[in-house]
Amino acid sequence: MKDDYLWDGSGEPDPEVQKLEKTLGRYRHNQPAPAFDEVADVPQWEPRKRYFLLRFPFQLATVAATVLVTAAVYYFSFRPKPIIDSGPAWDVARLAGAPKVGSHAMGADASVAKLSVGQTLVTDGSSRASITLDETGRVEVDANSRLRLITNGPGHKRLSLERGTIQATIWAPPGEFVVDTPSAVAVDLGCVYTLHVDDSGAGLLRTTMGWVGFKLNDHESFIPAGAVCKTRPKVGPGTPYMENASTSFQDALSRFDFESITPAERTSLVNVLLNGARKDDAMTLWHLLSRVSDAERPSVYDRLAALSPPPTGVTREGILRLDRKMLDTWWSSFGFGDIYLWHMYERDWSQTSPKSK
Amino acid sequence: MTVWPVTETREEDSLVSAARGGDRTAFGRLYDRYARMVHGILLARVPPREVDDLVQEVFLLALRQLHSLRDTSRFGAWLGTITRNRANDYFRKSIPEEKVAEPMPEDPVESRTANDASEQEAAVILAVVRALPEPYREPLILRLVEGMTGPEIAARTGLTHGSVRVNLYRGMQLLREKLGQTARGAS
Repeated sequence: MKDDYLWDGSGEPDPEVQKLEKTLGRYRHNQPAPAFDEVADVPQWEPRKRYFLLRFPFQLATVAATVLVTAAVYYFSFRPKPIIDSGPAWDVARLAGAPKVGSHAMGADASVAKLSVGQTLVTDGSSRASITLDETGRVEVDANSRLRLITNGPGHKRLSLERGTIQATIWAPPGEFVVDTPSAVAVDLGCVYTLHVDDSGAGLLRTTMGWVGFKLNDHESFIPAGAVCKTRPKVGPGTPYMENASTSFQDALSRFDFESITPAERTSLVNVLLNGARKDDAMTLWHLLSRVSDAERPSVYDRLAALSPPPTGVTREGILRLDRKMLDTWWSSFGFGDIYLWHMYERDWSQTSPKSK
Repeated sequence: MTVWPVTETREEDSLVSAARGGDRTAFGRLYDRYARMVHGILLARVPPREVDDLVQEVFLLALRQLHSLRDTSRFGAWLGTITRNRANDYFRKSIPEEKVAEPMPEDPVESRTANDASEQEAAVILAVVRALPEPYREPLILRLVEGMTGPEIAARTGLTHGSVRVNLYRGMQLLREKLGQTARGAS
């Protein structure tokens, strides 16, 4: 069969595929491996390992000192400061006006500065700035924004967007770059995205490339390229939707996610969503599976299965009981990204999700 | 259906573990296994002339960050994400921000010196593939350019067989349509 040839080269050869293979083969990878054994060792962050390499009396002294320091910290402060600063400061570049880093305003005579842990970057109505860290990414900060650097440790970069808009282009490995907002945590899973927070703490995340995980407590949303997700204080992230979804679909989703409605209204909204869903909206229906009632779930399953058939191993029965593995497998079949990456990294960040207002 | 050999998967876990422990030879073997995947993912996104250098950069970045990978069985998915991020970075540095969203196919004539008709034809076809929607671009390039089979693409990228199979077939269907339009436009 010709399809088998495209899949694994077996079966009756497809002449068109063969021709494409031959023609495009000139671009095939043919470079030998670099001499990795000549690459300088990279220091790794292993504080626990180093600690146990110390001699016992030293350990004892270290433990005693740690206990004293910890007690002192708790004595002078009601809560420990969640600050890790073992990485280089972020470079701040002035793009317009006079953004402020801490108490220092960047004027025309000072177009660059450093942003360290705990410091804020504030822009007014006429100023803009960008912050960059070579191995992590670049964040553009729009006018009327307030951003704070929370954590800057190895493999853990965390900002807090208190208000305003940022555009993040991240090239660090997935899960390393996180932005807190007053109503959800945005975890980069390899992407370019825009995040806006208004004065009430409500947010809007728009993904341009790759995908982003958005989370508050156990409420989580995955926003692939071309999709948008709203978030509200106390509620957390809503259901993501594709930007080109119809207005009625978006309105129904917004009411479903954030408004106080009766069960009858809720069922009516679910019907609007199911009837209005296109193939591109399969991602939205996948999220709805775990947000609708048990009674509503079968109809969501049926509509989603019609738009994007479940892959092998995913059953109706399993999805109706919200089998985590089956839900994950179905998501991965959409081709947006491996959901395992999210499960691998989100645990680290969920310990310190923003509190509801 | 072709199943990826379990022995290979186990061997790969050992290689990743060894590489994480500082064994550069093991990392070199991972390069041998994954270089085509990295090359293909990049070729789907950045100009061909930049791809070889970026492949080296991706592996050096992965070598530095390998300690952060907690599940050795997900090395492929992890490396794939690093590669896509590096491609994002390329566009951030080289073209205006508004073009980052959807990398446009470069001028086919510019992609490689088109000395003869077959080179030109290859450049045109590659440009058409690169203009396809993102979910189809990558599996098609891994299959048609890098010579990987569907099961191999699934095993390396961490995607399911079903997802790869669907995107390969739909992508191929779309590619046939686009090539047909290109041919009609040229005649």
